[in-house]
Amino acid sequence: MAKFIVKRLGLCLLIFFFVTFIIYVLEYCLPTSYVEKTALELSMRPGNTKSAQQWIDELNAQYGMDQGIIKGYAIWLSNSARGNYGDSWAQTMPVTALFNKCIWYSFVMGAIAFVIQTAIAIPLGVAAARKQYSIMDYSVTVIALVGISMPTFFVATVLKLIFSVKLGWFELVGMQGRNYATLDAAGRFWDLAHHLVLPIMTLIIIGIGGLMRYTRTNMLEVLNSDYVRTARAKGLPEKKVISHHAFRNTLIPLVTILGGSLPGLFSGALITETLFGIRGIGYYAYNSMVVGDIPFTMFYLAFIAILTLLGNLISDILYAVVDPRVRIN
Amino acid sequence: MAIYTDKDGRDRVVPDSGYQSNAVVRKSIHLALKERELKAREDLKNGGNEGPDKELTLDDSERVKVLSPGQLVFKRFITNKLAIVGSFILIFMFTFSFIVPLVYPYSQTQIFYKYDNSVIDYAQAKERTDYSIYMVDAGENIHYSVKNKLTATINDMKSKGLEELSLEDPDGISYRIDREDDYIYSLYKVSSELYASMNGTAKYATYSVVGKKLEYEEESEPVDGFENALQAAIKDKAKEFTAGGMTFTLEQVKKTYNVYLTSDAFTYYGGEYDAALEALARNVEKSEVIESGNDKYLVTNNKGAITVNKLMGEEKVALLSTYVFDSYDSSFKISDEFMLLAINAVTEDNKFEKDGKSYTVKAEGEERLIYEEGNSDEPVAAFSTMVIRRYNGEDSLEFAYKEKTRSIIEEMTANNQRTATFTWPIAQVDADGLYTYDENGDVIKDDRTVTITDKNGSFVMSVEQVVYLIDTFSRPTKEHWAGTDGDGMDVFARMMYGGRVSLMVAFVVVILETILGIIMGGIAGYFGGWVDNLIMRMVDIFYCIPSMPILIILGAMFDALKLRPIVRITWLMVILGILGWSGVARLVRGQILSLREQEFMVAAEAIGLKNRKRIFKHLIPNVMPQLIVTATSGLGGTIIMESTLSFLGLGVKHPLASWGTMINSVSTAEAMKAYTYIWVPVGLLICLTVIAFNFVGDGLRDAFDPKMKR
Repeated sequence: MAKFIVKRLGLCLLIFFFVTFIIYVLEYCLPTSYVEKTALELSMRPGNTKSAQQWIDELNAQYGMDQGIIKGYAIWLSNSARGNYGDSWAQTMPVTALFNKCIWYSFVMGAIAFVIQTAIAIPLGVAAARKQYSIMDYSVTVIALVGISMPTFFVATVLKLIFSVKLGWFELVGMQGRNYATLDAAGRFWDLAHHLVLPIMTLIIIGIGGLMRYTRTNMLEVLNSDYVRTARAKGLPEKKVISHHAFRNTLIPLVTILGGSLPGLFSGALITETLFGIRGIGYYAYNSMVVGDIPFTMFYLAFIAILTLLGNLISDILYAVVDPRVRIN
Repeated sequence: MAIYTDKDGRDRVVPDSGYQSNAVVRKSIHLALKERELKAREDLKNGGNEGPDKELTLDDSERVKVLSPGQLVFKRFITNKLAIVGSFILIFMFTFSFIVPLVYPYSQTQIFYKYDNSVIDYAQAKERTDYSIYMVDAGENIHYSVKNKLTATINDMKSKGLEELSLEDPDGISYRIDREDDYIYSLYKVSSELYASMNGTAKYATYSVVGKKLEYEEESEPVDGFENALQAAIKDKAKEFTAGGMTFTLEQVKKTYNVYLTSDAFTYYGGEYDAALEALARNVEKSEVIESGNDKYLVTNNKGAITVNKLMGEEKVALLSTYVFDSYDSSFKISDEFMLLAINAVTEDNKFEKDGKSYTVKAEGEERLIYEEGNSDEPVAAFSTMVIRRYNGEDSLEFAYKEKTRSIIEEMTANNQRTATFTWPIAQVDADGLYTYDENGDVIKDDRTVTITDKNGSFVMSVEQVVYLIDTFSRPTKEHWAGTDGDGMDVFARMMYGGRVSLMVAFVVVILETILGIIMGGIAGYFGGWVDNLIMRMVDIFYCIPSMPILIILGAMFDALKLRPIVRITWLMVILGILGWSGVARLVRGQILSLREQEFMVAAEAIGLKNRKRIFKHLIPNVMPQLIVTATSGLGGTIIMESTLSFLGLGVKHPLASWGTMINSVSTAEAMKAYTYIWVPVGLLICLTVIAFNFVGDGLRDAFDPKMKR
């Protein structure tokens, strides 16, 4: 097992180098005029203490943009390995400080949405598979497909229209109420929670379909297997067949995929956070990408790449751990 | 190999990919034979309805109908309700996007206009407060600093109730403003002569140490013992010395000394010594006109140096007036000289002559009319302090209109009214926003009610006019089935063209990534070994690249580089294709790895088929079903991706329509609430299309892969 993990880790590291290299090349190849123009624009923003030339000089020192590609990549890599990511151009603060500031909003949102959608999707998927071609099955299939098929921005806009504009229950955008400054700690917590409801709803609607479908497909496969038929043939009550024999085996792929998606909770929701003005990592990342804030963008892309790799690694390991039949080689 | 239970509960062995499976074909033959046998038994039991004489033959009519694998897939597909729904939606979408635009009358970028009876600000009347300068002698020069402060000075005079006021320009020339009447002031330039001056210190002589050369200034009067005293002072390095009762100061410039005479005596230029004047002049701090004897003097004190100018006399250089001239007939040109004469006439006897013609000025209320001699019915011109212009500042209004409004405004002011109305013929525009003309070439005018409103001294004339404007955000009507958007473009047309873009982008991208995927996956799967390893690591890398952020970065860069919309779309498609091939490659490789080991491939190898033929004739067709399923679902995903990018403003750009862009154009909270008839249908179109692709993809997968369902 240890050998397997080490091997996988090595592979991940290799892929990570290549992915970051590609990302680096992409940033490196941005037209100089674009970089200079962006630096100039951002340096003229209020609150900025550095001149455009200072930003570019820092960028060159940090990312070796004025060196060759390979050498520059080495410079960036050694800098980032030491936790040195430079200052965000758009937010004029160290990238790591910005990361610490915003990541927990993203994580909380992602985690709540993850728990709720798992709690809804798995029972529904199982129920759909138990009675294939029933109304339940059809409705689950249709709901799942509709969920998968809706673009995030449309869901967000519809939710805003219904709950913010028509019903007026939630605020349209932002994460603090008007009277936030006057609230005490508990009041602030509830205010924040209130503002997070719509974004979390959006995340759930977007994500629930895929999980539901996956559960249903796997449950169907298990229900068609020999050991379930054997269990039924033995005369076990249907309840026991489902909960003991079928569902436990359905859990194997589910745990694998859910475990794999855990690191993704940190990646933030680019579109949702931007549309709802939640100051999470996705919001800042989108903002920095649009205005051309290279330091934070580079950091974000590398961060996402690590999360994806980590997700795959966890999936692989969980698959081996959960299913004893899988031999590691 | 997998075990499959058929309808009769018997287990059948089915290879993993069901498509080419002989077992499926065999099964259908088996079922068909069985049905036929049952039917024959029925017939026998019933005593043979068709008669025992019916011969059993081996011709086509007796052949068992066997469905080909393709037909089987088709049959399974059409029994899936959701797949059918999806197919119909897709057929609708394609018709809607690609065929309906051919017959639909509007294009995606056509801008629509509408007529609207709206109240526009037609003209404005305002009391003029700036004084214009009418030069008496065009050659005369008035210093710009004086010109600039004239209006302010006159207003100052008005507020203090002064009849006249003196001014001075930086050159020391003084001016006098004299009030003629409320709207006319005269500007006099006062000529003066240098009378006396007191310098404080005056250069007396220059002494050069080299050669001991002493040079007196021209005006200096030699003093006894000066040279000796000077030399003694230089020797002692003294700054000051006296000689002949006068005090001198020294200034060293290298080897030369400048000698200054310190004196507070006045030097007179042509005048006589005047003790009273000197006493008064010494008291002047900066600049003042003082009287001494019968004369006036202008005294200026510049840091101890006093200049006394004797004022000689004054000359009228200009008239200042707020009057504005309007000619009755545009053919009558009003020259600057004419204006000067007319204004001057007001201050005198209301008569003037110009170019041999005599004119009379008659006051009519606030206004003054100018009549040519011999024609007392029609004035040639008029002037008043009220400026009447079109609202955009153009002086294109006719004389009669100005007369009318002037009289009404006077009436309003007299009665203290805030608003007044009158009727006047006003030119109207036609469908193209142009004026219409009758057969004589005159503009056609309609009587309209003009409303004059007093807005703090500025009188705004508004008139209800038919205007021709861009028809923005029109609700759905007969002409525009889905209304128009913020640019006045037909939403229905844009929906169709947007669908075209979305579908086209989706297809191009999916085809691109499928081709790339097949090539890479095929090579990896077929050759295996290190090639496989290399390609699969590449797949891993591409799988790991976050595509959405990269597309956003590139979109922002395209924005900054200002690429043309069509170039953008092309790039967008290429990049989406390059980022998306890894999934297809992984699938193809996996399929090929499992197919490679199967009997038919062994057979293909055994009969000695070439590599190329084995791959393209035997392997790829067997991967096709899986590919088609993935590609169909991929189409939906690409549409979501494209519309999200366009929604963020980073994908397809205006004026090209795209579903995402259309929703984005009404993304503010107000627009979202007010224009639901634009964004909700468009959003539904996106959802429907993606759902349809997913339904069809699911249906196809079930049809191709019978062991899962049905």
